[in-house]
Amino acid sequence: MTHPDVQNLTIREAAARIQRSALSPVELTDALLQRIERVNKTLNAYITVCAQQAREIAQAAETMIRAGYHLGPLHGIPIAIKDNIYTRGIRTTAGSKILGDFVPDEDATVITRLKRAGAVIIGKTNLHEFAWGGTTDNPHYGTCRNPWNPERFPAGSSGGSGAAVAARTCLGALGTDTGGSIRLPSSVNGIVGIRPTIGRVSNHNVVPLAWTMDTVSPMTRTVDDCVLMFEVIAGHDPLDEHSAQAPVSDYRAELTRGARGLRVGLIRDYSLTHVQPAVGATIRAALQTLQSLGVEVEEIAMPSIHGNISAQLTIESCEPSTYHQEWLRTRPADYGDDVRTLLELGEMYLATHYLQAQRYRSVLRKEFLDGFRRVDVFVTPTLPFTATPCGATTVAIEGTREEDMLSAIMQFTGVPSLAGLPALSLPVGFDADGLPVGMQVIGRPFDEATLFRLGHAYQQATDWHTRAPAL
Amino acid sequence: MSRDEPITAESIDRLCSAAQLPLPAERRRALAPMLAQLVAAANELSRKMSGSGYRGIVPILRFPER
Repeated sequence: MTHPDVQNLTIREAAARIQRSALSPVELTDALLQRIERVNKTLNAYITVCAQQAREIAQAAETMIRAGYHLGPLHGIPIAIKDNIYTRGIRTTAGSKILGDFVPDEDATVITRLKRAGAVIIGKTNLHEFAWGGTTDNPHYGTCRNPWNPERFPAGSSGGSGAAVAARTCLGALGTDTGGSIRLPSSVNGIVGIRPTIGRVSNHNVVPLAWTMDTVSPMTRTVDDCVLMFEVIAGHDPLDEHSAQAPVSDYRAELTRGARGLRVGLIRDYSLTHVQPAVGATIRAALQTLQSLGVEVEEIAMPSIHGNISAQLTIESCEPSTYHQEWLRTRPADYGDDVRTLLELGEMYLATHYLQAQRYRSVLRKEFLDGFRRVDVFVTPTLPFTATPCGATTVAIEGTREEDMLSAIMQFTGVPSLAGLPALSLPVGFDADGLPVGMQVIGRPFDEATLFRLGHAYQQATDWHTRAPAL
Repeated sequence: MSRDEPITAESIDRLCSAAQLPLPAERRRALAPMLAQLVAAANELSRKMSGSGYRGIVPILRFPER
């Protein structure tokens, strides 16, 4: 297989070739490093490229595999890591000036697990500063750009990971998701990303944003690849006191069951409300595809859903501001202005605002759990719009009325974060400008398996996920 | 005091004092209209959640296993 082709392999395809020694991890890693060198000037998806270490680990993987020591499907597979996840001996900046020289002496648990599976860490990806934003317009490390159109944003905060995967510079990536930071870049970059049930994946040694909503999870081109990475990192971690004890499902056993019989819920006056026309049309077409696969769709009322933006903003303001209290007083000028402003505002809510928002989460979660008696998953667009121009702070969703970007961006993704539910973003088409549209599928607590099952069935019937940007 | 009294630069001054957050005057002035919008929405949610129908609801601070 020639070098130009390997970048288009999925993790599963590459893994099969590596296992039977038809593809060298060194060749694969070299090809991707060359691609990074070629496209990163345009995309700015990486803050640190770990070229030397990646080559060394790839060589070690090749030596082991040739000697018959194969660790599993991630052995020798180049993976990119969002730069708020600790990597031992590799600078971990969280996209900030404040941590610009921070080199951890420990790995995050998710990194330990990926390394034990033999993954090759190819680089640390760009993010919105301290993950507190949705554009990855980073004042310290440069604006990250969307591979489908570099004048457009990759969303965020895991925009670097999203762009890196879509641009075929790695076979998968890790991101973090608090209010949508995996799902939003997955949507606008045309890839798969999952927010797990809170506590399903360890947050140990990940720079926090909001403790009651932070998660870590994979971003990949296919659902199948997402499962390959997810089953490595999921599971209880004694180092994370909020890590769930719930047993890890056999995601692989569920994956190929097909979608027939699954029940999908649309939330009345919400799921398809207040979206750009192309997004609405694409989601409706995706639902028709699911129905052709034997899925049933019904509408469910959820009267409390419309308080979600305020609750999201309150909690996602107060918790980061608490974490950043000292730096905000000792190094305020080292923040980018947008993050500094949000951190200052977060210091000014009342305790009762915060606790009422946390009470609202109980109400919202209960309405979802009641809904799950009638359906297996809920569907919304991931974003009500496709990728906006880089640097935009407002967006027009309906007509020409411009809305604040932060509120608009979390219109759909905030809800599973508030309710503690897993949610998958799937690529389901493109708008007239060739920009990807993502569909969000929300599941029961700890039922990532059903999300994967539905998503995989959809990808078996469609080819959106096989398309590549013309970089 | 009216429910609808705006958040002003003076409001920000008092909040900064309470939080021991030293902000330059121009930043305090810029924050006032933003905080006004955020607090208005937060107060609306608070009013809803204070209703008798929600008396028994406890805050989620850690999710149960199932």
